[in-house]
Amino acid sequence: MILIMNENNIEGGKSTIKIVNTGCCHDCGGRCTLKAHVKDGKIIRFETDNGEEPQLRACLRGRAYRQKVYHPDRLKYPMRRIGERGKGVFERISWDEALDIIASKMKEIRDKYGNSSILFVPGAGNQGMLHGVTPSGLMLNQFGGYTRMWGIPSYEGALFASMATYGTMMTGNAREDLLNSKLIIMWGWNPANTIWDPGTPLLFAKAREKGIKIINIDPIFTDSAAILADQWIPIRPGTDAAMLSAMTYVIINENLQDQNFIDKYTHGFDKYKEYIIGEEDGIPKTPQWAEEITTVPADIIINLAREYATNIPAALMAGWGPARTARGEQYSRAANILCAITGNIGINGGYASGFMRAYYSRESVGSAGRKKSGPIKEEEKKEMEKKQTPRGNPVDFRAPPRKDALYKLRGGTNPVSTRIHFNEYYDAILQGKKGGFPAELKMAYIVAENRLNQYSNVNKGIKALKSLEFIVVLEQFMTPTAKFADILLPVNTFMERNDIAVPWLGSPYYIYLNKAIDSLYESKSDLEICKELAQKLGIDPGLLNLTEDQILRIFSSPRKDIKSYDEMKRDGFYKVKVEEPFVAFKEQIADPENNPFPTLSGKIEIYCDHIAELNIPNMPPIPKYLSHEEHYDAPLADKYPLQLLTPHNKRRTHSSLSMIPWLEEVEPHRLWINPKDAKARKIEQGDMVDIFNDRGRVRIPANVTERVIPGAVVIYQGAWYNPNEEGVDVGGCGNVLTKDTRSPGGAFPMNSALVQVEIFSKKKSEVTS
Amino acid sequence: MKQMGFYFDQTRCTGCYTCSVACKDWNDIDAGPENWMRLTTIENGKFPNLSLSYLAIACNHCADPPCVKVCPVNAIIKRETDGIVIVDESLCLGKIECGAKCLKACPWDAPQFNSKENAKMRKCNLCIDRVKTGKQTICVEACPMYALDVDSIDKLQKKYGNNHTAEGFKDNEKIRPSIIFKPKKAKIKKSE
Repeated sequence: MILIMNENNIEGGKSTIKIVNTGCCHDCGGRCTLKAHVKDGKIIRFETDNGEEPQLRACLRGRAYRQKVYHPDRLKYPMRRIGERGKGVFERISWDEALDIIASKMKEIRDKYGNSSILFVPGAGNQGMLHGVTPSGLMLNQFGGYTRMWGIPSYEGALFASMATYGTMMTGNAREDLLNSKLIIMWGWNPANTIWDPGTPLLFAKAREKGIKIINIDPIFTDSAAILADQWIPIRPGTDAAMLSAMTYVIINENLQDQNFIDKYTHGFDKYKEYIIGEEDGIPKTPQWAEEITTVPADIIINLAREYATNIPAALMAGWGPARTARGEQYSRAANILCAITGNIGINGGYASGFMRAYYSRESVGSAGRKKSGPIKEEEKKEMEKKQTPRGNPVDFRAPPRKDALYKLRGGTNPVSTRIHFNEYYDAILQGKKGGFPAELKMAYIVAENRLNQYSNVNKGIKALKSLEFIVVLEQFMTPTAKFADILLPVNTFMERNDIAVPWLGSPYYIYLNKAIDSLYESKSDLEICKELAQKLGIDPGLLNLTEDQILRIFSSPRKDIKSYDEMKRDGFYKVKVEEPFVAFKEQIADPENNPFPTLSGKIEIYCDHIAELNIPNMPPIPKYLSHEEHYDAPLADKYPLQLLTPHNKRRTHSSLSMIPWLEEVEPHRLWINPKDAKARKIEQGDMVDIFNDRGRVRIPANVTERVIPGAVVIYQGAWYNPNEEGVDVGGCGNVLTKDTRSPGGAFPMNSALVQVEIFSKKKSEVTS
Repeated sequence: MKQMGFYFDQTRCTGCYTCSVACKDWNDIDAGPENWMRLTTIENGKFPNLSLSYLAIACNHCADPPCVKVCPVNAIIKRETDGIVIVDESLCLGKIECGAKCLKACPWDAPQFNSKENAKMRKCNLCIDRVKTGKQTICVEACPMYALDVDSIDKLQKKYGNNHTAEGFKDNEKIRPSIIFKPKKAKIKKSE
């Protein structure tokens, strides 16, 4: 509902201000309430939730959204590229002409090369249940399909591990259950900045105030480590699995494991034990062994293992960041198993780690979009295949399952052998079928995705994007990716349309995004664009012919927890009443006979037979600490001795909001480097430095800070790639330096790049003085 | 006399800047030098024994505000009814003409100027537009950590005690800033 109120304005007169209940829907861990104050068709300010607890208070990103909506650089009308790809030189054209060009090129490419030559690049820069990528996907399906990609940079390692260990993503407990813990370990996790649901940082504060000890393990002294935790344990990047193995060693060695739990609920503990105590490879995974690797003193590892195993219930929450590495799934699996062998699963105050999703009204197992977890049965397969037509993507319909995808749990309707991993598609474009990829890609249809910036190896990406015949980009701003478009279409923001924002990490509520203002300039919603484009393509727009309200009612109807769509729309949110806080695997633990774990063995899989059967290099059936070619101990470290981390910061959501002045001034973009590493390179605070490896060179000022472990440097992800004449990125995009590969489980190695740092120029003020 | 003031829980503040951005949005202040709500980062120690605190300070609406005394044109007024210190922009001479005497007198930089030439002083007015309609200040309602509160100082003291210091904050007994704290204490181990 839209409220009208009269308010004294600053000049003392009366003016009518409409308050529109809407929200904030970025690709972060939050979905939050915004109340837009609209005067004469313009948003003049926001408030947030000030009603019933728990409130869904927006963070700085949402509070600054007005500067995005009214930013002078918003894309205002459709454009055609007239300069070289990537230079960003365009001319204005009409919608009619733009859509005509797109339709004729799409038909030409489809007829000449087939639908698999169309690469759909969906992103999360513009979100909602209805808008963003959804209309484009529906339209492309109708058009005969496209080559699809798999893998999500945020969490693919953690997801793989969650599936391998538990067979599901639903492994988290409700946040308020943290108050039942005796000890909380936040591993590589910074919810103070990443907002895993709006109430999470507050819950940690309340837990600490209750006297619950909180320990944070991270190479960076993050705001979470500094403010939410009692103790910070710095660790060398990429060595988390070694520390977890050593903690497991201490627990086994001191007989602190919950043997009853292990016997009853887990599969393959003995084989893991052989690895841990050194029977398998002759190397006992002692705390002293781990100290060498992790730099964490052995006594700290011993104490932490004892504390964790003897303070039941304890919550070990393994963040996704350490899994964004070249062997990422090993860390996540090792963490999951530590939760299991201490019996911390299925009980209040405990935690299973895993994917950490606690509440989601339509549980899906990932790519297959299944409604329930567990091994896929034959009859279910048939049912799913039947359902897939005609709405699914014809290009990957009934294709054989990708072998390394835990296909017995995740395969099914949309099996994936026609898909390309998101971090390998530059090679796919450049090499095609000759390189072993499933398609010859000729055009890219890019929606809300600053692809070039947010995936690894920008310089290879430039070559790949330049080689395509045709590129369409739907965007709000001239991003580094948008500069490569042949046709660039302006999309509106979530203030200019109706939508629903679905939280995805664990809290039971929905946000209804009521349209606050009309679309600015000539921008249109994704729905409007795809409906018109479908007509030009001569295909049935189907669902896209309906109104926003009609579609949203259809989309929300399977979600039984929304008792009233109209109430949700009126209030701008819907807080689901949950009888008791969710605890993952409560039924499995309470009554295992009738509630097996949704794995192939029906138990928590410490040893995973499915992985053993897949027989993939660097993917052992039990988790192991594994090195790789860009690890600190690799030969390449002689040339590039520093480990690069590219985590999230507090002022952006990925590369969205990079251009907002209110947010930019919060934290200037800097390379974080420890004073020890800075001194060795004669770098002082504020000096301009080059960060480089064989893939590229980035130039930004240095922040010399004790807050990062020696040997590692940090470029916060999301700053926009901005090459100078020599091709040096002076925008500070970390992915110029990261590697375009994946771990065996599909993790993106954004935290596994070796680099060197050197001074470029002294800080300006010193040069002039 | 009733005196309104702030409470700040430093143990909770994660330095997220939501209060500051919400303040700029509500009061329509551009990015730049004018910051009614300011965050300070206090870092101490050497790796791996570190401490980090944040301090969020707007205007402390002091019991005896020095800015009022130094203003040559009496543009700054302390309200009798609630002790809120406000500025009449139409009277202010401007940063250059006056030399920003108020800013120099304030120990906590509450008087603010935008980047315009000879900008007039503006600062936190404790959201008098909101408070008079029964609402909380925009910063209090914004804080995701519920680390801020605004009320009469008597009520705040009853609720939170009477601590006048925090990491990075220097109290001034003469001026008597209307702010109380739950301070974060640095836990730095002596390096061995």
